[in-house]
Amino acid sequence: MNDTKKAVRLPEAGGMWDKAAPFALLAGALLATLGFILTFTTAPLVLGATVNGVELIGDQMVSNKLLLSQKIFYFHVPVAIASMLALAFTAYYGVRFLMTKEARFDTCAKTATETALVFIICTMVSGELWTRFEWGVWWTWEPRLTTYLILMLLVIAYFILRNAIDDPERRASYAAVFGIITFVDVPICFMITRMIPSSVHPVVFRTDSGMSPDMLVPFLICFFGMILIAFGLYRLRFRQARLAERVALIKEHLED
Amino acid sequence: MNPVLTEIYSTVLQAAPYVIGAYALIFLVLFVYVFIIMRGLKKTEQQMAVLEELLAEAGGAHK
Repeated sequence: MNDTKKAVRLPEAGGMWDKAAPFALLAGALLATLGFILTFTTAPLVLGATVNGVELIGDQMVSNKLLLSQKIFYFHVPVAIASMLALAFTAYYGVRFLMTKEARFDTCAKTATETALVFIICTMVSGELWTRFEWGVWWTWEPRLTTYLILMLLVIAYFILRNAIDDPERRASYAAVFGIITFVDVPICFMITRMIPSSVHPVVFRTDSGMSPDMLVPFLICFFGMILIAFGLYRLRFRQARLAERVALIKEHLED
Repeated sequence: MNPVLTEIYSTVLQAAPYVIGAYALIFLVLFVYVFIIMRGLKKTEQQMAVLEELLAEAGGAHK
């Protein structure tokens, strides 16, 4: 039994990944900035409702309203995907904790969930502004919005649950199970636009998405930028959490 | 201005504050989180330095 426990490789701060984290954060920030610039320079405005007439704009005949509000999409979708990916790590480390009972995996899961919450806030904020402009309301019970709200509430509940339990092992076990349950909502949220088609949230990730290269390139740049930012933030927070754990351990020893 | 062009661009200016707001808030949330992490890291590193000093003193006293 002890041999099995020894064989478990624990994630640690200060290694190769932590050395790469500041560069990932910097590269992510640069990519996000580049994507932001391209979004407002090369990416064309999408077409809205038809107007009474036609005009030549650039080298194109335009007979529809041009929608600037769609530009929110270039950051909104990448931050949403980043939040979902972070929750996948919550579930992964939750499973690892339940298998090994190693507190380190609980630290990893907590850090991943915290990163997810940051990106969920970004998604909600940008989505709300889009909703407010396009529909004139702050909220509507649309399937994607509803499932994502549930996801946000589950993530908040995850931290409430953690704070409510004092015993570290029990807290870690409950949080691991709750983290896995939270992750169940991720594929539901992702697939809901396919299961219940809605005009509000189009299916973005499909082979015939209709995005021109002028739109796809800034979108992908923003996407990889946000993934790198999420990774950098996770590693930075994990480093801090590990250091805090070591401080607590030394304090305990000194008190003894 | 040409009425057709006015209609084509009719929502652009109205949408601008929402678009700017969305991007600004995303950047703000991320910057605030980085700031919180960096502040926490600095504080924890200071605590670690104090503890290391204490341990060194305790080690010296034992000798």
